[in-house]
Amino acid sequence: MATFTFTPHIGRLPTPPSHSFPTTSSKRKLKFNSVATTTRASLQTSPPTLSDPFVLQLAETLEDSLPSSSSPFPLHKLRESSSESLLSTPWPSRRDEPFRFTDVSFIKQSQIHPISNPPQSSDLSSIPLETQFTNVVIVDGHFVKSVSNLTELPNGVYVGSLIDLPSESIAKRVSDFVDRKFVGDLFWAINGVGAPDLTVVYVPAGCKVENPIHLRYFSIHGGEEGSNELAISNPRVLVMVENGGEIEIIEEFLSGDQGRSYWANPVLDVVIGSEGRVKHSYIQNQSLNAAHIKWTSVQQESTSAYELVEISTGGRLSRHNVHIQQLGPETTTELSTLHLSVGNQTQDLHSSLVLDHPRGYSRQLHKCIVANPQGQAVFDGNVKVNRYAQQTDAGQLTRSLLLEPRATVNVKPNLQIIADDVKCSHGAAISDLEETQLFYFQARGIDLKTARKALIFSFGSEVIERLPSSSVRKRVEHHIKELLNPTLETSPH
Amino acid sequence: MAISMAYCTSSSTAATSPLVRYSPCNSTISTRLTFFPLPFRSNRRRSIRIATASLPAVNSPSTSSSGSQKNLLLEVKDLTAVIAESRQEILKGVNLVVNEGEVHAIMGKNGSGKSTFAKVLVGHPDYEITGGSIQFKGSDLLEMEPEERSLAGLFMSFQSPVEIPGVSNIDFLNMAYNARRRQLGLAELGPIEFYAYIFPKLDLVNMKTDFLNRNVNEGFSGGERKRNEILQLAVLGAEMAILDEIDSGLDVDALRDVAKAVNGLLTPKNSVLMITHYLRLLEFIEPSCIHIMEDGKIVKTGDISIAKLLEEEGYKAISTA
Repeated sequence: MATFTFTPHIGRLPTPPSHSFPTTSSKRKLKFNSVATTTRASLQTSPPTLSDPFVLQLAETLEDSLPSSSSPFPLHKLRESSSESLLSTPWPSRRDEPFRFTDVSFIKQSQIHPISNPPQSSDLSSIPLETQFTNVVIVDGHFVKSVSNLTELPNGVYVGSLIDLPSESIAKRVSDFVDRKFVGDLFWAINGVGAPDLTVVYVPAGCKVENPIHLRYFSIHGGEEGSNELAISNPRVLVMVENGGEIEIIEEFLSGDQGRSYWANPVLDVVIGSEGRVKHSYIQNQSLNAAHIKWTSVQQESTSAYELVEISTGGRLSRHNVHIQQLGPETTTELSTLHLSVGNQTQDLHSSLVLDHPRGYSRQLHKCIVANPQGQAVFDGNVKVNRYAQQTDAGQLTRSLLLEPRATVNVKPNLQIIADDVKCSHGAAISDLEETQLFYFQARGIDLKTARKALIFSFGSEVIERLPSSSVRKRVEHHIKELLNPTLETSPH
Repeated sequence: MAISMAYCTSSSTAATSPLVRYSPCNSTISTRLTFFPLPFRSNRRRSIRIATASLPAVNSPSTSSSGSQKNLLLEVKDLTAVIAESRQEILKGVNLVVNEGEVHAIMGKNGSGKSTFAKVLVGHPDYEITGGSIQFKGSDLLEMEPEERSLAGLFMSFQSPVEIPGVSNIDFLNMAYNARRRQLGLAELGPIEFYAYIFPKLDLVNMKTDFLNRNVNEGFSGGERKRNEILQLAVLGAEMAILDEIDSGLDVDALRDVAKAVNGLLTPKNSVLMITHYLRLLEFIEPSCIHIMEDGKIVKTGDISIAKLLEEEGYKAISTA
């Protein structure tokens, strides 16, 4: 059982006066965890739903860590609804299908403490400033304007915290969106409870943003290597692109000091209006002792396009949940992901694409390389082609490279097709490097080690090539080459 | 003839300095490409056991003085081999001698073991040697890994070259070329210098530059793959080039191109071993010797007249059975 550093409220929920009915009144004097009390009170009259004590404590700790504000805070409703859902969501175990191959128990077994205060300037000194391109710096879940570079944004484009949004109407749109009922999983709800603020990237209708916007997430705080502590951060970002808008977003997750242990629990919401286009690059390079559980939830209106290229190489446990909901016909969705486990790591992608409208086009390519006997990769690619999604053209391909004995990969491509006039395909292949190809290298004088290196790298490069930004691509190529090199020197091949 | 003298040739320079190099690395090639073995004795024996092959050089010093005596390049004695997995015997005692500067051809029925023989020579893992010996330039070939054999000067053009998606032709050739340069203690060539080196050779096999950026054999037609093999031969050089059915799948024009390229690479110092079914190739690349392989053995050796007889009357005219 995890222990918490904020002890006062463990097991004891404050009992508010006179509340005996489960309304969610907007006039609230107490913190929003009183909702928990009221609903709990009400639940006692109905058949009791088991609340997971660990989850409850975690929720309380997060709530307590956030500064209380007397005026209604924009994220209030989100926190309430997330809090509510946490009441009835247990910590996942291996018996739950979405976590069958992903072991999240080590998080539960650690001491989790939230990072309540926004980072101090002393923490920020280690963050490299980027003055060349527009970038948003989020440290331990908090948006830090002082080290971000938000100059040179086109007219009408807003990048910043929700609180500072100048336009009331946009703020309302954002709030309404954030308050919608989306049932993500437990980790989504935890972010909902613990996110200190919401960073918004807003693109007005018809605006094509030329330069990509970088979202750089740093994790500074964390337990020392070998300790049992996990510092949890909940960054939350919303990208809203109105009709006809276009933008490229590059998300990078980095740790200040490799080796620290922390739990990053980010959420990214993407709303794409009709004919909008979003290119999303996601680079995950977290510390090898960190847990990283990310949600990316995308909503696509008709004729919009969403392209994701993901390169995940870090983290002890890294899980990416992708949910894409089609809201209109003729959308284009392209997902390319590369997962690399060179150490005792688990890389997990759970993606879900829901098509409810006709003539959608989607392609998904997932590649993973497991180069360590204790490494693991998990893939669950779900595509729902529902009844009205006629003439859908959906393809999914997953290829895995297992380079060491006992390296493990679990793949579950799954298409659930109800419409009857569609073109769907899926394929999965798991293998080591091909002997005939290796021999061809040897027959030309290239030794086996070099040949393996070339073939492994070329396996990954199919995804790396798809990164739209060339500077990011070069950096990623370099990083992957570095990661693969020491592996090969120690391998017995 | 003394086998071990193969690389200590008659060239006078061999005795002087072990590091004399005939192939200036940065001089690109003259119109006539030759691949010429460096007649020096490598001092670095510990890693590779025999003198290394050269890189395609500009000139062949005419110091191959005693031209009368042909030097032994490849000697195969009583070679037997099986398929590693099934232990089925394919080669049942092959004997072959190839000297420098000779062009040999092996013909035979399907299943006679011709391709197996070629694969065994380059060290394909699917086969296992169960007896006999192979000496190449005086060293025991069977002791060498496939990459070592290649660096020693043995090249094989595959019958069905494999595709390597994700690795471009130019990167692949660059890697192979640099492996040889490392071998010789020369500095490796970066991509740009290498491109300058390789560019003139494309004409040799009648291929365009865009081909270099394509992935190795990916989406290539049969003819393109074979031409790619010959391009690799031209770029990397070899003392002994084994061409396994280089003519299969090629139309007349492509065949002519390939034959022209191979002929252009021939010198008095290197040899070619062709495996083919048809007389046609032999009319383009003239062999000095033709062997007929049957049931895992070479049963007959002769000149071009054998091939003509084969063409007219089929294998039963030649069969020893």
